[in-house]
Amino acid sequence: MEAPLVRIDALHKHFGSNHVLKGIDLRIQQGEVVAIIGRSGSGKSTLLRSINGLETFDDGLIEVDGERLYAGQTDLRALRQKVGMVFQQFNLFPHLTAGENVMLAPQVVKKTPKAECETIARAMLAKVGLAEKFDAYPDQLSGGQQQRVAIARALAMQPKVLLCDEITSALDPELVNEVLAVVKQLAAEGMTLIMVTHEMRFAREVGDKLVFMYQGRVHESGHPKELFAAPQTPELQNFIGAVN
Amino acid sequence: MAYAFDFTAVAEYHTQLLSGVGYTLLLTAVGATLGVAMGTLGAVLRAWRIKPFAQVFGLYVELIRNTPFIVQLFFIFFGLPALGIRLAEWQAATLAVVINLGAYSTEIIRAGIQAIPRGQIEAAGSLAMTRSQIFRHVVLQPALQKVWPALSSQIVIVMLGTSVCSQIAAEELTFAANFIQSRNFRAFETYIVVALVYLGLSIALRALLARLGQRFVVKRRAAA
Repeated sequence: MEAPLVRIDALHKHFGSNHVLKGIDLRIQQGEVVAIIGRSGSGKSTLLRSINGLETFDDGLIEVDGERLYAGQTDLRALRQKVGMVFQQFNLFPHLTAGENVMLAPQVVKKTPKAECETIARAMLAKVGLAEKFDAYPDQLSGGQQQRVAIARALAMQPKVLLCDEITSALDPELVNEVLAVVKQLAAEGMTLIMVTHEMRFAREVGDKLVFMYQGRVHESGHPKELFAAPQTPELQNFIGAVN
Repeated sequence: MAYAFDFTAVAEYHTQLLSGVGYTLLLTAVGATLGVAMGTLGAVLRAWRIKPFAQVFGLYVELIRNTPFIVQLFFIFFGLPALGIRLAEWQAATLAVVINLGAYSTEIIRAGIQAIPRGQIEAAGSLAMTRSQIFRHVVLQPALQKVWPALSSQIVIVMLGTSVCSQIAAEELTFAANFIQSRNFRAFETYIVVALVYLGLSIALRALLARLGQRFVVKRRAAA
């Protein structure tokens, strides 16, 4: 087996006296689609946010494509260029058009010439099915469209891995599928995806690996179809029972 | 008893009036530009709690916002010479305006910065942007957009407040008014005219700031 793209070793994190991550070990291969599930407070979002340094951690190591991140490290830019992130609340920049949202980071961070950035942005927006919305402002777009722009914005930096933090949870039910379709297509193209999600059906269909977090630990993990069919622990059984 | 108005007694001094208007506008323009620049700096340092500057600006803001402008002006013009710092009246007036507006705009702009959703800053961070890139490209413009009306009002207040600078013989509009009424003994007409001029200037300044806001702060093209 080749070296994993993402390696997480003995990750610990406290919020004050609350020990939220109690030693997480995770290996993720290039092209894998990983769904992290669990109850709120189980540490799944914290784990995801640690992978690009939005949360600091107290002990352990994270490595993405050879770029290492240690506890207390403050310079995160090298890592962040390899890790894209999409958020629950989209977080588009409201003063910029969809196209400008996508162009900003390549222009500012990678110093790519503007014309080239525009080409990239148009290609990325086309990829998420929004080529015609290049000049639209975020508040002129539906939630689903905004989230797709956010995906395009993350992809424009050509990340090795894309983190998705409950990206459909803030959407109206009828808009969930258009976003999931984009994610599915990315998975099919071989993008490495780590997603915290409540979309169990999606996790089961598209995921290569399911990680069930419980009280700050990886309680159970494995192939989604097997795990859903035969959960080994009562906690996962309960969880699956509760969400279905 | 009818008062016989004589506005020609004021019109004779139109040169002084115009030069007063020019002085007031220049003082306002320079003061507003530097004051807002200073406020932006103070706002960033305070909003992002950059030590020890955040505390220094905090003290400065409290000091200026809780003392009268005229005392600040007198302190600079009459007080500082005791330390060997002697400023011409236009220097003292400009400095006082900058310091005063700097304090108010620090708080106004800080409110705008703090109103930027945390998620947008996180999103920019996750795109590998540095703190200063985030501030320039993601925070500043929306922050100014949010507080532009408040900031515009403050600038108009400052423009009206420059009238106080007549007290250190800075030859702005109110100084001109005082001079004219001491010559023509037509205080009533003179101050009516000057009040109207201030009114006109305020309206014009508000309109100008609104346009500048549209052009440089909102910067939004027509709906796509």
